[in-house]
Amino acid sequence: MSEHQDPKPSPPNSGDGWRVLSYLIGGVLIYGGIGFGLDRLFGTEFLLPVGIVLGAGLTILLLHFRYGKS
Amino acid sequence: MIAGVPTEFIPPGPQNFDTPPIIDGVEWFTKPVLVSALSVVVIIWFYWAASRKAAIVPSRLQFAGELGYNFVRNSIARDAIGSQEYMKYVPYLCGLFYFILLNNVAGTIPLVQFPTFSHIGWAYAAAIMSWIIYNAVGIRKKGLWGYFKHQTMPAGVPVWLMPLMIPIEFISNIVVRPISLSLRLFANMFAGHILLLVFVLGGHYMVFESGNVLLGGVGVITFIFGLAIAGLELFVQAIQAYIFVVLTAQYIGSAIADEH
Repeated sequence: MSEHQDPKPSPPNSGDGWRVLSYLIGGVLIYGGIGFGLDRLFGTEFLLPVGIVLGAGLTILLLHFRYGKS
Repeated sequence: MIAGVPTEFIPPGPQNFDTPPIIDGVEWFTKPVLVSALSVVVIIWFYWAASRKAAIVPSRLQFAGELGYNFVRNSIARDAIGSQEYMKYVPYLCGLFYFILLNNVAGTIPLVQFPTFSHIGWAYAAAIMSWIIYNAVGIRKKGLWGYFKHQTMPAGVPVWLMPLMIPIEFISNIVVRPISLSLRLFANMFAGHILLLVFVLGGHYMVFESGNVLLGGVGVITFIFGLAIAGLELFVQAIQAYIFVVLTAQYIGSAIADEH
């Protein structure tokens, strides 16, 4: 039982899906928020959707690097 | 509802969760407070009784206690935190798991029938406690700056993408985690309880108050479906307690993990 000295913190298990979800929410939230703020600053209205899409895209990229290779 | 008077059906809503004080004049002593206090008493009694006459050949109660403890210890804590450091966190995780489990299942137990965590404050408190613990153990292990770097630099990402990824990693690890932890638990308990209320109150209205034979027949079916929903809820209540504790353990595990 305690034989395997695996340096990796944990085997993939049921919690991973929920962690991925929190990444997706976080990415959309931060870049959408930046877009919203810039919209307010410049008086435009296209930066919020751009930010949301950018955030979702970047998050998927991050998940690819983070989880895609194991 | 007043019997006998043909009334409109009042659908259940958030107002059904406003529990009055049990004793007049003691504002804070409401049903969730009572249920959670009872759950603590039951948990303490159970583990005290199970370990009181601990023996090599366990009694039935001791066996049940060991089963419950080993489940959290082995399938949650050791799997998520790793076999080196998990023992330190088992008491918290075990207590948290059985506290949430009992308070959730209280939504199904007859006469009690109130899931404590359908009041969002309780869910916030549980999530904030887990948030403080996983951040504190991370900071203690790596130092403030080291922990911050650890939680904001995603592994395996090319350097030129780092500036774009750091905000995502920060928000999702520090900000979204406690929010999603509490909202998931609260929303599941709230929605499950209100679903049961819809079936039971709706069935009651159709059978006893609508004065319509056809609706009465539908109401009987509604009651039967309500029973099925109650079974489903029991499952959801257990799963939510499990998810909450598994995620807490994983957050602790990732906070103290060595560089990826």
